[in-house]
Amino acid sequence: MSAKMYRSTDRVVAGVCAGLAEHLGLRVGTVRAIMAGSCFLFGAGVVFYAWLWILVPLAGDDAASGAPQLADDGGPRLRLFRPAPPAEPAPAELGAGGPAQPRGDRARPGFSVGAREILVGGALVVAAVLLFSARAGVNLNLGTIIPLGVIAAGAVLAWMQLDATRRVGLLNAAKMDTPWSVARFVAGLILVVAGVLIIVTGSGSWALVWASVVASVAVLAGVGLVLAPWALKFWRDLQAERAGRIRETQRAEIAAHLHDSVLQTLALIQKRADSPQDVSRLARAQERELRSWIYQDAGQDTGRLVAGIKAVCAEVEDLHGLPVELVTVGDAELGEPMRALVQATREAVLNGVRHGGTPVSVYVEAAPSGVDVFVKDRGPGFDPGAVPPDRLGVRESVVGRMQRNGGSAEIISSPDGTEVRLHLPGGPAQAAAATGTARNTDAEEAK
Amino acid sequence: MTAAGQPIRVVVVDDHAIFRSGLKADLAPDIHVLAEAATVEEAIAAVAAHTPDVVLLDVHLPGGRGQGGREVISGCAGMLGQVKFLALSVSDAAEDVVSVIRAGARGYVTKSISGTEISDAVRRVAGGDAVFSPRLAGFVLDAFGTAEVAVEDELDKLSARELEVMRLIARGYSYKEVAKALFISIKTVETHVSAVLRKLQLSSRHELTRWAADRRLL
Repeated sequence: MSAKMYRSTDRVVAGVCAGLAEHLGLRVGTVRAIMAGSCFLFGAGVVFYAWLWILVPLAGDDAASGAPQLADDGGPRLRLFRPAPPAEPAPAELGAGGPAQPRGDRARPGFSVGAREILVGGALVVAAVLLFSARAGVNLNLGTIIPLGVIAAGAVLAWMQLDATRRVGLLNAAKMDTPWSVARFVAGLILVVAGVLIIVTGSGSWALVWASVVASVAVLAGVGLVLAPWALKFWRDLQAERAGRIRETQRAEIAAHLHDSVLQTLALIQKRADSPQDVSRLARAQERELRSWIYQDAGQDTGRLVAGIKAVCAEVEDLHGLPVELVTVGDAELGEPMRALVQATREAVLNGVRHGGTPVSVYVEAAPSGVDVFVKDRGPGFDPGAVPPDRLGVRESVVGRMQRNGGSAEIISSPDGTEVRLHLPGGPAQAAAATGTARNTDAEEAK
Repeated sequence: MTAAGQPIRVVVVDDHAIFRSGLKADLAPDIHVLAEAATVEEAIAAVAAHTPDVVLLDVHLPGGRGQGGREVISGCAGMLGQVKFLALSVSDAAEDVVSVIRAGARGYVTKSISGTEISDAVRRVAGGDAVFSPRLAGFVLDAFGTAEVAVEDELDKLSARELEVMRLIARGYSYKEVAKALFISIKTVETHVSAVLRKLQLSSRHELTRWAADRRLL
């Protein structure tokens, strides 16, 4: 007697009887006889057998260690199944049914060739036996046989599915989600229910039908209760498998990304080692790209203000090879006036890099009451009033653009550097509400 | 705390030897590197052995329970009075920066900072002040909100002046420039920044918690 039950590998059909015998400490012959006898109690034996087939693992098939055995290889299983009793009286049918299956079906998970052949062969044997007995003058009650056939087909369909899912599902986590498997299961269920109803209505009154329906619902509920832990465990296995798969995919994606970006850049840097400017530009661009990839967060949505500003800062960095330090607080939708603000920011940053010739700091603060952008460089500075009128750069593309879009721009320059301050009020309703409240942002601008 | 003129003794903690040697070369002559460490365990041992004035601490470190710089600070919790930590990172992710500050670091600078700037930062931290990079100031403004709101606990909000200082730092102003722009002394700027640091470390403000949760800091 063993503590935990396994299906025996020394088996006739699925090793259930042998496993049960080992588990209970009985003789295999006795268990088989009981099992066969109970089949006549409204098929209880068949149901119990199938039940154990599904629930009890094959010996040596504990958790993941058994996975390789579950490979969809029809060959060995067919060999093991061959001595099965139904195959004996009709070798011709089995032979005809087997090779008729297209070999391509082997590739389809779920239905192994062996099981399929057994099924078809079994069905043909049953049909042959029925035909033979009809010839021999036995009175066949079609009203009983057809529903029984329907039930059997439904049960096989559903349970084949379950068994297959269990075997292959562990190998292929996505399997359970395919509409096909669900459809098969549901179809099997419907067939069984329909068959049961046909039998019951064919042989009794409506009161009896009603009682049977209640009874079957109760039985189903009970079965559900018993099944729940198993279903849960099965689901967890699937989830674990899926998580592992996702991790693997992510790792591969990271490796691919690093290869495409970082390794390429490093190779380029080695080639350009003699040009400090190229090297620093490459390094900076790679750094930016890697950062945005690692720290991708909600602020990265395109169509948002911060993303737009980030993009223009990156563009200027690439153009001039000087770092642009960006700090943002809050974010806003990138509407029409906001686009103008982004463009004005771009001009201001470009101006800072070009004339300041030093790293540029950009600070963006987006609040419902409006957006402020500060662009600061540490260049020698210039007098905004002294810029010749033909130099449209700053005056037109920054100040003019902001004014046309309902904002304002201010340029403060000193020998310590230049700062461009852009302000764009929020939406009409928000702006109206905000004008009264204290905006201490501008406190230092009043100096 | 060191008196003026005395060298500042530091321990450099970073897992990249190249970065450590580059940093040592960059530091001003009045800053003496006592020891270097590359992992959490080495760092805790080195700090305990040398009791430096300042620890230049990389946020991402191998070893320990995988929490990097934060773990070093909590491992030296008993010495936080004498030893100041200055966080140093390539990461500009909010969770890295804010978690190491909330663990007890006195400042945060990025690794791209120049040698003069980092020497300044070390002196400032050794003198008991806080060092905020523009980005850290941005995080503070993001976390505490940019508008003045009425809250019960003083720890939970920034004063108008502190907000201004934070904003100017976020805009790339040096302490000196902040002082000039606000017509206050550098010492006052430092006081404001230290006050903000204290609030950042101690506040249990609802918004800060939510902000941190949004960024998976908790």
